[in-house]
Amino acid sequence: MKKIVVTTALLAGIFAQAGGFRVSLQGVKQLAMAHTSAHAEDASVTFFNPAGMSFIPTKLSVVAGGFGAKSIVNYQNLSTLESYETNNPIGTPIYAAIAYRVLDNVSVGFNFSTPFGSTIEWPSDWAGREIVQRLELKAFYFQPMVSFKLAPWVSLGGSYIYAKGLVNWDKAATQLGGTLNLKDEKASGSGFGLGFYFRPSEKLDVSIAYRSPIDMEAEKGTVSFNISPALYPALGLDASGKDSFKATLPLVDEYTIGVTYKVTPKWLVSGDFNYSGWDRYNSLTLDFANAPIGNQPTDPTVLVSPKNFESTQTWRVGTQYQINDMIAARAGYYYDESPYSDENFQAETPSFDSNVFTAGLGFKFAKGFGVDVAGGIALPKSREVKNANTNFYGQAKAKAYYFGLGLSYNPF
Amino acid sequence: MKKILISSIAVCALLFTVSCNTDFEKDVNDVVVSAGSANFTKYVALGNSLTSGYRDNALYIDGQKQSYPNMIAQQMMLAGGGTFKQPLMPNNTGGFSNLPGFPGKFILSVVNGALSPGPTAAGAPLDNISGAGPYQNMGVPGAKSFHLGAAGYGNAAGLPIGAANPYFVRFASTANASVIGDAVAQAPTFFSLWIGNNDVLSYATSGGIGTDQKGNTNPATYGPNDITDPGVLASVITSYVGALTANGAKGVIANIPNITTIPFFTRVPAKPIAGLSDTQVAQLNAAYAQYNGGLGQAKAGGLITDAEYQQRLIKFTAGIANGAVIKDKDLTNLGPQLPSYRQTTAKDLLLLTASSVLQAGGGTSTQLDDQFVLTEKETAKVMAATTAYNAAIKSIADSKNLAFVDANKKMNELAGASGIQFDGVKYTATFVTGGTFSLDGVHLTGRGYALIANEFMKMINEKYNSTLPMVNVNSFSGVTFP
Repeated sequence: MKKIVVTTALLAGIFAQAGGFRVSLQGVKQLAMAHTSAHAEDASVTFFNPAGMSFIPTKLSVVAGGFGAKSIVNYQNLSTLESYETNNPIGTPIYAAIAYRVLDNVSVGFNFSTPFGSTIEWPSDWAGREIVQRLELKAFYFQPMVSFKLAPWVSLGGSYIYAKGLVNWDKAATQLGGTLNLKDEKASGSGFGLGFYFRPSEKLDVSIAYRSPIDMEAEKGTVSFNISPALYPALGLDASGKDSFKATLPLVDEYTIGVTYKVTPKWLVSGDFNYSGWDRYNSLTLDFANAPIGNQPTDPTVLVSPKNFESTQTWRVGTQYQINDMIAARAGYYYDESPYSDENFQAETPSFDSNVFTAGLGFKFAKGFGVDVAGGIALPKSREVKNANTNFYGQAKAKAYYFGLGLSYNPF
Repeated sequence: MKKILISSIAVCALLFTVSCNTDFEKDVNDVVVSAGSANFTKYVALGNSLTSGYRDNALYIDGQKQSYPNMIAQQMMLAGGGTFKQPLMPNNTGGFSNLPGFPGKFILSVVNGALSPGPTAAGAPLDNISGAGPYQNMGVPGAKSFHLGAAGYGNAAGLPIGAANPYFVRFASTANASVIGDAVAQAPTFFSLWIGNNDVLSYATSGGIGTDQKGNTNPATYGPNDITDPGVLASVITSYVGALTANGAKGVIANIPNITTIPFFTRVPAKPIAGLSDTQVAQLNAAYAQYNGGLGQAKAGGLITDAEYQQRLIKFTAGIANGAVIKDKDLTNLGPQLPSYRQTTAKDLLLLTASSVLQAGGGTSTQLDDQFVLTEKETAKVMAATTAYNAAIKSIADSKNLAFVDANKKMNELAGASGIQFDGVKYTATFVTGGTFSLDGVHLTGRGYALIANEFMKMINEKYNSTLPMVNVNSFSGVTFP
């Protein structure tokens, strides 16, 4: 009966994801179980909830991992009979973390991760080239953190987040007869994380965490035009066809409640609820120093593109079965919700309602060494593209595969 | 075990449902383009410069390749359409070196630090390619509605007296051929007809120096810059459509866009005299004091009304944009002592050709000639004729059950504040930067013609249940920058 309950739980309910340009790839063990959060076995919990550090079984824990993420997006237009496929490079998000219990009830840690990022590369002559040809977006999070064990069954943790990012955006400038590139490798911002971690019984872990929004400020962006030099003076460009720009890219806040229940000593089941505040991303404003390539009647150097994202909910379920002392088998499922409607489809950050299936294995070796592998397959739903703002219409579909390899070291 | 089996089946069922809606409902690769109730085997396009692919004040190969009929024909080939041959010019410059008034295409170049369009030398003398005909694009630059039916419009002997058109001379089947005759001889199964633009345009681009021939039903008596009588236009188009549909051909016909929104008439502001110094203002006002005084006497003597007096007073003010002083033949003739001068108002249209004259100081102490201004009164004549033409064209389309393109509506949309967007690119009717008008300010770029081609195909599809795919507007050429 239990098995039926669990598998049905896997299938039922409303499932959703973080969507947008948030990548759910911050822990290999977690990914194998649908990227659920209430797993305090090692320092990989630090990204999900700083308070989780207090429940790591060893005094010191070090983890590192990396992923390969391959996605392919297809666009077609039944009106023009055009169709295009992206040639995205394999994304390689990585993470590393360390947690150390300095006092019986105080743990400190540090987490490095790449929670936001994607590289989308369309054929340079594709229908949406005015919107994007290639866009590389990345954010690196550096999080020092501390956690206090308030009681044997509860801890409180907090982190400071320093985020560094880069944007590298190629697109066509059809009316100028060329292309342009927007680049800033020094965007930065800061925020914080906060969480409670509960272990009311040996069978139950509960993780409640909040991660603040972060405004990535690109202060010294460079826009480079690949157009006829005869146009430079009219656009206010320098002799090499460049101008500067400022922009702010919002990275969204996230609320997470995660639960892990040990059904038997060998078998655990996890569930997560995430809420991601994508509604912050109303519009993207690019403020150029001189180039009058904007769309504001009062200031032609300001380009405002409506984004109209909506906040998303994600429900995740995962499970782990300890086959023997050495090997654990894991599986999970989540439903990833796109943060925008068909009317607000963004070709530079294509997003879909997706069913994501994950699985993985964990190996424990002597002296506290552990190796985790995980894989995932996303089955996004095809969707209509009806963006009236850019007059971009058609249909889009996608495929995505993930692979992860993680190492953990819990020596003492 | 049984339970595991049941769960596994459930998971498989979920996976199956999930993978089903990951694909497109209909993949473009499975789309079959249909001609519907039309037959695109032999498509012939008739019209004027717009149909020929004329742009940048010339007809040249690259422009012809991006003519709207050629775009339509390429799409028709997906639905049984045959080859579409165009009377390509011998070069990419255009013009006829052995004929006066046919320079090569305009190109942009940097003049005094700013981009400025200017003509080039004609590419070659007038050639004759009729031997390689017939041609399916029969657009003849400069043709008015009644020209298409004129026998001998392609006779080289008629060139010096203006009875023939060199562009038709190039490919007319015989010296005595007419455009419509050569078209019907090809037995088209489908035709497009977009004619009548020049019946008002040549009047407008000449600054209204011609005559409104409303009521005169004999086009043989018309001058080159006259407005064609709407009855004449209606009757000749009716006869063309009758000839083309005689053997059951289907077709599409388009109306005439309002020409007052094209850059040729909007590029130069109606009040172009700005940035005058106090000294200049004083000098100008002093220079016209005698004229203004004379007007006062004329008014006192009852020769002109107070309204005309007010209209004709010349006054320059520092710090604002002033109207240019023009010669307006529609003002009361007060004799050589008091010429028909007045300053332009927001309701006059200064022509693109006036810009060089204005730059040289024209419109102030020297008056702009009639040919540089389409006055409010002249504009009204153009608008009235356009409205009458469009009523006639619509009724012909309805009575012959043809697909009808409201080109006027489309071009007004383009000239509106929000323009027309395509895949993220915003097009407007603004000169050069709008992307749709070529350097002559009258004819379109490849992208502009693509917007027109899509409008034609949309209406063809609607009328004949065909499924011609639209073209990607952004894939064609715009203005070429140096």
